[in-house]
Amino acid sequence: MARANPALVGGGVQPHLSFTSLVRRFPDGVRALDDVSFDVPNGEFCVVLGRSGSGKTTLLRSVNGLTDLDGGTIRMGETEMSRATLRAIRRRVAMVHQSFDLVERASVAANVLSGAVAEAPAWRVHLGWYPDHLRARACAVLHRVGLDEIHLPRRAAALSGGQQQRVGIARALLLDPEVILADEPVASLDPAISREILTLLRDVARERGATVLCSLHQTDLAREFGDRIVGMRHGRVMFDGPPARFDAAAEAALYENTPAVVSPKAPVARERSYA
Amino acid sequence: MRDPRLETSPAAPVTPPEHWHLPAPYDWRAALAVLLIGLALIWSAQRVEIDKMLRLTGEAALAQVGLQEESQVGRGLGRMFGALFPFAIEDRQEVARLPGLDRDALPRFTRIETIETTRYEMNQTTLQAEPVVERKEYLVHPFGYLLKVGDKMVETFEIAIWATIIAVLLSIPLAILGARNYTPHPALYTASRSLVSFLRSMPELIIAMFLVLGYGFGSIAGYLALGLHGAGFLGKFYAEDIESADRKPQEALTALGAGKLRVLRAAVLPQVAPAYVAYTLYILDRNVRMAAVIGLVGAGGIGQELKGRYDLFEYGHVGTILLVIFLTVFVLDQISARVRARLIG
Ligand SMILES: Nc1ncnc2c1ncn2[C@@H]1O[C@H](COP(=O)(O)OP(=O)(O)O)[C@@H](O)[C@H]1O
Ligand SMILES: [Mg+2]
Repeated sequence: MARANPALVGGGVQPHLSFTSLVRRFPDGVRALDDVSFDVPNGEFCVVLGRSGSGKTTLLRSVNGLTDLDGGTIRMGETEMSRATLRAIRRRVAMVHQSFDLVERASVAANVLSGAVAEAPAWRVHLGWYPDHLRARACAVLHRVGLDEIHLPRRAAALSGGQQQRVGIARALLLDPEVILADEPVASLDPAISREILTLLRDVARERGATVLCSLHQTDLAREFGDRIVGMRHGRVMFDGPPARFDAAAEAALYENTPAVVSPKAPVARERSYA
Repeated sequence: MRDPRLETSPAAPVTPPEHWHLPAPYDWRAALAVLLIGLALIWSAQRVEIDKMLRLTGEAALAQVGLQEESQVGRGLGRMFGALFPFAIEDRQEVARLPGLDRDALPRFTRIETIETTRYEMNQTTLQAEPVVERKEYLVHPFGYLLKVGDKMVETFEIAIWATIIAVLLSIPLAILGARNYTPHPALYTASRSLVSFLRSMPELIIAMFLVLGYGFGSIAGYLALGLHGAGFLGKFYAEDIESADRKPQEALTALGAGKLRVLRAAVLPQVAPAYVAYTLYILDRNVRMAAVIGLVGAGGIGQELKGRYDLFEYGHVGTILLVIFLTVFVLDQISARVRARLIG
């Protein structure tokens, strides 16, 4: 597996992820990213917080090249992101998605194994017959995220939302990524499950020393899980610091004059955040 | 889920229900369209002689129940249907034409029948017509013809299977090139889509006629023609399903660094597989029916036998063939319904 040794790229010597003056304009004039710069050290669980439309998804998707940038540079360790390095970077980065983005008709096992779709030999991918070490790993990560052997042959669509996101995380973990991008991984889950999933994500990332860039729109979850919060509004970074420093003023800067942004499934979170 | 109360805008004025405006089920444009279509159909009905069709059919029906002497349609079809029965089951060959036949060891199930026919022949000396009794011996296989038709049907089925395989193999690359989101180049997209339309627009009977010129009489022309025509269907349907497959899992795998073919395999194929099975079974079913037809132009299979017997006015044999085709299509229908339910469910 081609991946840089995290020990070389992090450790305060050099940030793991580095964003410099990122700009993304959409044709309708919206600046989804407007001069975004910050660094993420190795192994950090960095929460990108902001209301809907603040540019979180655009930022995360620019890391693995799903969104093109109009300006600025992204570095991952030594590597600067460009057309030439895109493939290599994508193999070191995994993504967990808001709507899970599993192949619903495929089995849980096939979905997890598809995490290795870029790495396994082509003929194995096309026959759907992944090598033994990957199959063993798939079982191991599925067990780690809290699923069982009985789930292996089940269709992804037949699982609950929380279970689907567990499969999504297992798929992301299959190849031991150094960076995990999680774009509102719990936006479609209820509050209790959300905490379980975020705890899982934080723990598995810690175990593996992976850096996490996780976007959220719920301030309470951001405070609870983030090693650090990067607050965004209108494509700009409005706050950057540890949760302890994310006070009412900082929160107001992200949310004031806008309709309260809470997950509609989480009225409890709303009261806590906007009491 | 949103709170349902939030869905109604509080700003909307409240009108009592008796003043509500219930939209009409159709407007003048719909009525005009129906009128125009009706006029067009009336105009067309004269051109295709709908009135004559109805009159002749009516006469035939009346003749059936005895209210009318005779009808043109009844006569034509009646003669034909009457001649279909009894179905020809046995096979008979003149022994005189079977020089190698060993009378002591006849092939299994066969027997020899002797048939005497009396013919009148002009005696050259007396100039009188005199009866001449002719004996002809036949080797009769009691269900030989049924076996032969069965064998032809198997051949027809083989043509249909190979035509389907060819159609599938051709349409997979055509579908990938012809799917907007997977084509390597817009020019290839246009080329693939045009080729697929072209293949679909060519009737298989015509393709088979041309191919018979190149490959000679027999099944090669048959399965090639059906395969090419089938690729015109499958290429289109496969491509459209690729285009409309859910993009999110595809993007998720792209984000892991997978190339297009791998994404197709891992994220698109599982989504489209049930529909592909349904299309492919439909094409197989169609190929079985069409394989019976394209034999008419000499492209092998049971159609060739059908045409031969039809041209010789051997309608009993035609009846057997039609029965076997019907049974095959019926059985295939049952099987494919089961396969479909199994793979799609
Ligand atoms: N494909 C697109 N075309 C046009 N505008 C877009 C597109 N994607 C996102 N935007 C706009 O960019 C802004 C940031 O969007 P996004 O990054 O999705 O925000 P978030 O994930 O924080 O909700 C929003 O105003 C959104 O409307
Ligand atoms: Mg978003």
